[in-house]
Amino acid sequence: MTHDAVLVFSKTWGAVYLLVVFLAAVLWTYWPSRRRIYDDAAQSPLDGREDQPWQ
Amino acid sequence: MQRRVPLEETAILCALCLVLLGGLAILGWGVPVAYVLHGWLIALAAGWGLMWMLNRLGETPAKVPLAYNDRVIRFGVVAALIWAIIGFAVGDILAWQLAFPALNGDMAWTNFGRLRPVHTSGVIFGFGGNALIATSFYVVQRTSRARLASETLPWLVFWGYNLFLVLAASGYPLGITQSKEYAEPEWYADLLLLVVWVGYLALYLKTLARRAEPHIYVANWYYLAFIVVIAMLHTVNNLSVPVSIAYPKSYSLFAGTQDAMTQWWYGHNAVGFLLTAGFLGMLYYFLPKAVNRPVYSYRMSIVGFWGITFLYLWAGSHHLHYTALPDWVQYLGMTMSIILLVPSWASVFNGILTINGAWDKVRTDPAVRFMMVAVLFYGLATFEGSFMAIRPVNSLSHYTDWTVGHVHAGALGWVAFITFGAMYKMVPWVWKREGVYSLKLEAWHFWLALSGTLIYVGAMWNSGITQSLMWQTYDADGAFLYSFLDSVVEMHPYYAARAVGGLLYLIGGCIGAYNIWMTVSGPKKAQTRQAGPIPRQPAE
Repeated sequence: MTHDAVLVFSKTWGAVYLLVVFLAAVLWTYWPSRRRIYDDAAQSPLDGREDQPWQ
Repeated sequence: MQRRVPLEETAILCALCLVLLGGLAILGWGVPVAYVLHGWLIALAAGWGLMWMLNRLGETPAKVPLAYNDRVIRFGVVAALIWAIIGFAVGDILAWQLAFPALNGDMAWTNFGRLRPVHTSGVIFGFGGNALIATSFYVVQRTSRARLASETLPWLVFWGYNLFLVLAASGYPLGITQSKEYAEPEWYADLLLLVVWVGYLALYLKTLARRAEPHIYVANWYYLAFIVVIAMLHTVNNLSVPVSIAYPKSYSLFAGTQDAMTQWWYGHNAVGFLLTAGFLGMLYYFLPKAVNRPVYSYRMSIVGFWGITFLYLWAGSHHLHYTALPDWVQYLGMTMSIILLVPSWASVFNGILTINGAWDKVRTDPAVRFMMVAVLFYGLATFEGSFMAIRPVNSLSHYTDWTVGHVHAGALGWVAFITFGAMYKMVPWVWKREGVYSLKLEAWHFWLALSGTLIYVGAMWNSGITQSLMWQTYDADGAFLYSFLDSVVEMHPYYAARAVGGLLYLIGGCIGAYNIWMTVSGPKKAQTRQAGPIPRQPAE
């Protein structure tokens, strides 16, 4: 494996890899059915739930 | 009755025995006095820890209360403030020495190269690190609704980490350094930190595993990224071969360009995961709490997390533009640094929009003001950083004071401001006080710190650009118009201004420490609020 081969590989597949990871993260986060999880999580520090440990 | 020793305590006992043996070996075989003293310190600390653990094993175990463990957090806050004062003071002494070189008294140990790491380690690892450990313990317990998963590990982490800091800061003036920027401590201190950090990661993961709800609150993601990546960076960048047990000296496992690339992969990710990700964790918990509003876009905070985590790790090579590093690595680092602006500013807008609807608190609550300004400086420093990573811009800014100004816009304006804002909120909570001792002093701290930062950063922008222009001015024959010394002489007014800015920041920090001290020694909050549901009353 030469230096140039590694270079070509990282320039092509590296970019594809980053794009796929980005799209996966966005889809995972913004998938409509998951909305409730995040809305609930955003409220969790504020609604007094954390006053006492649960176990 | 025989008590079964759980796996965790066995592991800690083994680790402490190993550290003790290491300390004994150093104090026994060591030759330089400072190194032998470090051996004594390590052995005494490990021996003390062993005695403490063995005593506890002999007793019948106390019942673990159903309450959060806030004691270790209080220790962390106090340690952070002590290191802050030390770090700020040494930094300002250096600033005065740069303006008036005679102030170093012509002594070896006040040499800039020996004192500077005391400043950098003191503020980054002493102040920042202790603040991150303390707030992470607070946040992980509250958001998981679970007590820290161990009664022993938090203390191992706190004392072990601070022992590492003492070894680091006391070694530098005596000449013990492996001369890697922000990774100066020698191999034996590095090994100690490795033990501590594994304990920290285990404790954090075990506490998260006890959480009440399946979703992990986003602040923990950032704290966890900080812990995991620092473990990785610290281990790889400190791979070295000690010359002998008798001396602190070691040699890096890498050579030449590889060594430089490893160092700046480490250096820039220390910025990315200690000074950024960790403090973003602080922001995403303490800002919503302080303004009593949820994160503006929780989903954006998650996408931002993945953006920062994936991009930062590639950006380090922008520290080595126009060097022997292959060009494509330089361009890769530059490109990633530019893209990094997107997730960085996503956090900036998320922070500012979280305050939306509570802007009155910026006026009335200095802690919120600290956090708001922190977000603005974060936006400024990340924009500036992406800009400076562009190669032609870097050919102007590199090796000048512009870099120093950039770092301090981030460190003074972002890291320290978000920390002080969070501490002014957390201190009354963990010590169960009504509020901070004096809002007036808090405001004084804010304005002193802000003016200090603006003076500092402004002075360094001017001196940096001046240096760069003077170094790149040629006469008609293509020879340098100015000698290097000309540019040094030109720096004097800026360096004097920088020292004044630093002094204001130090005074602000002292006022903050006094204010927190008075809060802690003041009266406890009256027990008016009942925890748990209000008991049902019969109808009358």
